[in-house]
Amino acid sequence: MSRWARPARPVAPIAVALMIIATWWLVAHNGGSGWVQFLGDLVFGALFIGIFGPWVVVTSAKVAVRSAPADGVAGMPVELRVRAGTRLRIRPVEPPGIEVFVGPVGRKGSVDDLVTLVPVRRGVRGTVTLDIASAAPFALQWWTRRVQLPLPSLLHVSPRSGRPRPPSTSPREDVGEVRNRPRTDAGLPRGARPYVSGDSRRLVHWQATAHAGKLMVRELEQPSAAPVTITVDLPDDPEEAERIAEGALGTVTQLLEGGGPVLLDTLEPSGRVLAPVADRRGAGRRLARAVARAGGAEAT
Amino acid sequence: MRALDAVRRANMPGPPENSIRFRVACLGTVLASIASCASVDEVSRPTAVAATALVSGGMFFSHLTRTRPPGWIKVVVAAGAMAAFVWFFHSLTSAVVITTIDSPLGLLLISVLVVHSFHVPSRRDLLFSLAASAGLMAVAGAQAIDLSFGLYVVAWACFGLWGLTEMWTSSSGGGRISVAGLVCALAAMSAAAAAVFLVLPAPVVASRVSFLAQAGAGGSVGVPGALAGDTGSPAQLSRAGSQSSPIRVGGYLGFAGSLNTALRGNLATTLVMQVRAQRPSYWVGETFDTWNGESWTESRGGSRPLRETSPFALPIPVGDVPLGQSDLQTFYVANATADLVFHAESAEELWFPTSKVFYSDDGTIVSPIGLGSGSVYTVESQVTTPTPAMLRSDSSAQTLLPETQAQYGQLPHAYPRVLALAQSITAGDTTTYDKVQSLIDWVGAHTHYSLDIPPLPAGADTVDEFLFGNRVGFCEQISTSLAVMLRSLGIPAREAVGYVPGGYDPITDLWQVHADDAHAWVQVWFPGYGWQDFDPTAVVPPSNPSPGATALKDVAGALRRVPWVPVVAVLAGAGLVVAVVRLRRARPATWAARVARDAERAGRRAGRPRRPSETLVEYAATLDELAGSGTTWGRLASSVEASAYGGREPSPEAQRAMVAEARSTRVRRPVGAGVRD
Repeated sequence: MSRWARPARPVAPIAVALMIIATWWLVAHNGGSGWVQFLGDLVFGALFIGIFGPWVVVTSAKVAVRSAPADGVAGMPVELRVRAGTRLRIRPVEPPGIEVFVGPVGRKGSVDDLVTLVPVRRGVRGTVTLDIASAAPFALQWWTRRVQLPLPSLLHVSPRSGRPRPPSTSPREDVGEVRNRPRTDAGLPRGARPYVSGDSRRLVHWQATAHAGKLMVRELEQPSAAPVTITVDLPDDPEEAERIAEGALGTVTQLLEGGGPVLLDTLEPSGRVLAPVADRRGAGRRLARAVARAGGAEAT
Repeated sequence: MRALDAVRRANMPGPPENSIRFRVACLGTVLASIASCASVDEVSRPTAVAATALVSGGMFFSHLTRTRPPGWIKVVVAAGAMAAFVWFFHSLTSAVVITTIDSPLGLLLISVLVVHSFHVPSRRDLLFSLAASAGLMAVAGAQAIDLSFGLYVVAWACFGLWGLTEMWTSSSGGGRISVAGLVCALAAMSAAAAAVFLVLPAPVVASRVSFLAQAGAGGSVGVPGALAGDTGSPAQLSRAGSQSSPIRVGGYLGFAGSLNTALRGNLATTLVMQVRAQRPSYWVGETFDTWNGESWTESRGGSRPLRETSPFALPIPVGDVPLGQSDLQTFYVANATADLVFHAESAEELWFPTSKVFYSDDGTIVSPIGLGSGSVYTVESQVTTPTPAMLRSDSSAQTLLPETQAQYGQLPHAYPRVLALAQSITAGDTTTYDKVQSLIDWVGAHTHYSLDIPPLPAGADTVDEFLFGNRVGFCEQISTSLAVMLRSLGIPAREAVGYVPGGYDPITDLWQVHADDAHAWVQVWFPGYGWQDFDPTAVVPPSNPSPGATALKDVAGALRRVPWVPVVAVLAGAGLVVAVVRLRRARPATWAARVARDAERAGRRAGRPRRPSETLVEYAATLDELAGSGTTWGRLASSVEASAYGGREPSPEAQRAMVAEARSTRVRRPVGAGVRD
């Protein structure tokens, strides 16, 4: 990231400004008129500030990401709340996004504005790279600076949900079994207990809740269905890896909608992870964290 | 094809500019530049008024049609611009003598601005208006010769800066520069402009571009060729000279047929003229060759008329060696002065607004018309600028004619004491230059300058009185003494009168010559270089300088040089801005704060200020109790607290009503009751 700003397409404005100043000064100098030279000096001052003032504004601009969602989907817009102390034009670079003006309208202090990112691929992002630009105070020359801002929380960009592919291990029986498998939240009830954070809302036991006066959920016996393991081996080619991840997510989503338990086997930066996924969001996060395995092929 | 594409791209209409403020600011810059042109008579007042109306109407039309400009408007604008250019080149080529392109250029730019104003739909078009107004300001500035033009510059600059900041607001979707940022930007802009102003050399007078000659309001003179100046009388010395007085040249008595060295007018401080010149010079008016012990006169026997069309080719003055550097000077007469045509030494060409001038062999030029305010003339001189070494080693074999030598060596009588003194001073000197310098050094070391000296006794010789009396005098006596000492040594010398260069104004690039810049000095003849100026008064210290009076004079002089109109205008503008900002900051930001402020104000007036520990509701209850009737304050305070702490905002109409009610409700102090505390 650059600490200093650089001018955007500077040749034409600077060349024109220099030409104006040189011509003006030549006319003033040889015309023998002090007022013309004085006016030329004023014009020079205005052009100087108009051309180099934005450098100061952009270099000293303070921009911060105030809030960001924890999850996103590749190809879908993700909105960040960005705070800027001065009016800036922001173009998200990594992940890419939509160019937008942020900062105070009028002479108020810092304000929050929405910046929309459209991540192309899955991944876990702790920072966002933005091109911030300004032409203040005279809008004669734009200067830009690339900044990398930390996100308040990690942004998990899951892959798009691709076409699901049935698990390859037990083709025919599993298909029928999966479709007829009882839901994981519909096992044999064992009792009721107070609700704790993370419990599915489908497990709320309304009668017990009404009786106890607080939210109660059912405790079920172990689900009867055997989990399906989805192993995702991603290749080095990012396009291919994205395609495989999308297919894996589609498959996992379909399996979850069928009600069966799913184990997702991925390679993450910390190592191999084999763990159940409860919903699409969890699967998306796992796939967002997944990295390529050397010689990896695809989901199985 | 590539060029065609580029042209097509350049002609693609930009997005419509919706900012009314940006448009108004651009209109302001254009109108300011048109007004500035009118102020320097670049265009006539009716033309300026018509252009103002058309540009305003055009801008309004452009704003209305900004989203869908009619198709024909571009054709009309192009045709109008073409017609303006055709007229411009026609007016240049049809003129018999091109003296200046300024006036047609101003009209051309105004025409283009007027035509263009009808098709200004986008930001780029408005920016063109800004730039074109800068060009028009430059055309006007080329004609401006005084600081009052600064008012137009300030107005134009304010509109221009406003327009540029509005352009940023428009292009950034509402971004505005903070007051601090604006101040910083202005300071940086001023610093950049000042740095360039300080670094760049001063403008030089253009050679062969513009030879101004214009008759002013001087009226006619009594006898053409005679000098309008008055030789003065002791009765006139008690008052400063003015245009209307007999001493119509600012109080100086020397711009006449003779120079009485015993008299000194009370010089006014009025601006006499402004000079645009390539270098500062002593602006010589006339010279005197005959000394009678009290006054100088000229023996040239009157001026002879030069009947030519301007420019006048001036003969070489007697004894002059016109081999110096060309020096072009333009004189702008500000107040009626003598009918002398002042110039740098060795004038050789003159642009003058008459078909006749009077010329003397010594180089004196006399105008046949009175030179009043508005008169302008241009002189080209060949100024010799030899160094002391060159003058010291002057070995030219050129000599003056015997009668000329006698003319410039004339003395009314023998000056034995003066001769002895001069010889003793120059005893060790072998060259003319060394002798002149030795005499000047002696004068500087042994005499003092003062305007306050008693009148000379009747029949007394000025030089004898000065050199062997109290040795206190003014420039006429000091220079005359040097001239007489030189003549006594056989060195040709003469008395010259005119003006010192005056103060230099870096803004206008003009030398400001005031009436009290009138001066007398000595011209000494050198065979190889002609007449050279020597000013002995410059080295003479003032007599008994009074620190207080000197300081006061310096302060007064400094204050006189301050361009008060622009300074006061800028200060007033800055003060207004500060006052508005402070007022806005002091004003409560919300309706609730306004109601609370009014409640506290009403309580203070009733002698019951709010205690620090009191809530607004408690205080309002006290006020209602004091008022004795109603619960107005309580109701208002409840609404304020509900807004501040409960988040229940009343409608805007209700807010306005409550603010108005709080403003109009008074709490009267109960009769006979003390202040409740």
